[in-house]
Amino acid sequence: MFFHIVLERNMQLHPRHFGRDLRDKLVAKLMKDVEGTCSGRHGFVVAITGIESVGKGLIRDGTGFVTFPVKYQCVVFRPFKGEISEAVVTMVNKMGFFAEAGPVQIFVSNHLIPDDMEFQSGDIPNYTTSDGSVKIQKDSEVRLKIIGTRVDATEIFCIGTIKDDFLGVISDPGATS
Amino acid sequence: MYMVLYLFRLHVEHVFLFSLLIYPPSLLNFAVNILNSSETKISLSSKSGGKVHNSVVGGDWGKGEKGDKIANGGKVPVVKAPLPLEFKIEHELPENAKCLMDCEAAEILQGIQEQMVILSEDPAIKIPISFDRGLQYAKRGSHYTSPHSVRRVLDALKQHNVSDGEVSMIANVGPESVEEVFALVPSLKGKKSKLREPLKDALDQLAKLKHST
Repeated sequence: MFFHIVLERNMQLHPRHFGRDLRDKLVAKLMKDVEGTCSGRHGFVVAITGIESVGKGLIRDGTGFVTFPVKYQCVVFRPFKGEISEAVVTMVNKMGFFAEAGPVQIFVSNHLIPDDMEFQSGDIPNYTTSDGSVKIQKDSEVRLKIIGTRVDATEIFCIGTIKDDFLGVISDPGATS
Repeated sequence: MYMVLYLFRLHVEHVFLFSLLIYPPSLLNFAVNILNSSETKISLSSKSGGKVHNSVVGGDWGKGEKGDKIANGGKVPVVKAPLPLEFKIEHELPENAKCLMDCEAAEILQGIQEQMVILSEDPAIKIPISFDRGLQYAKRGSHYTSPHSVRRVLDALKQHNVSDGEVSMIANVGPESVEEVFALVPSLKGKKSKLREPLKDALDQLAKLKHST
């Protein structure tokens, strides 16, 4: 789920950047340092939307670097347990399938796939119902519920299920009539 | 039955080892931990007296001895996942966090992308992958023609103590019936009788705002 939040960060700037473009350089450095990162509390910082304030700079003793406290607004993406998400399948194997929802990876185990769907190996591995009417394969869109999340240094990984009501395949790239 | 279990275990381990090549063990360990939690226990009702080879690296799959003990001890109960009582995500985020619907996020990110097109001409500036993926996801999840109208319709539900997170989830899911809402947002079930009519009205209005397919 997306959120719009205000975060604060202390930005260090080398004296060579001081001058009339100081603020622009500070903002550019902030974007470079922050956009695309991931934290456990806020999730992925997808984009910075604005700068709220730039505080007074503090010269660090012994170096010459100056630290500026910067408050900025940004759009973050963070998955939550219990959230319903529409993801695109990236890989299917006998253990289950992996899907992507935005920058987040979600794994759905075969134990959390409806019992009437079975794994079919082959050139295009997939899960298919016994009558062949529903198929989950690479690039299928599925609606799933997130039942667990874990944050690493640079990414968030989730576990999902499609075993509940109103969950499952939304669209199948190889659908045949 | 023992041979079946043995072969099943071997096969699972082979697939798991294959997965290790692609995904780091720490992530798969997490996946296994979730699967071994009470919500997702596998029913091993047969009593396996035979040895089960345990050649898997790391993770709870490697605890073959425990698995044997569980299997020898009897059934592992399959516990249905308890429904989350509250979807109170606001507690985990800073107070100033505003929950965005996918359609609102798509509008914001689209605007930023238009500015980024100019910035991307500078080879020193790289647009992060998470931005592209985030924008694609937001656009795909955006079912409505006007995010502002959707926000107006769903904000009316807040009078009935529906939280921001729940409102956003309803908008993102794009439900077609009230039953679908209660099934996908179980935290609303406690207020089912009070919410049924307002939800029905909201869904009728949202149906008019959906993109024509």
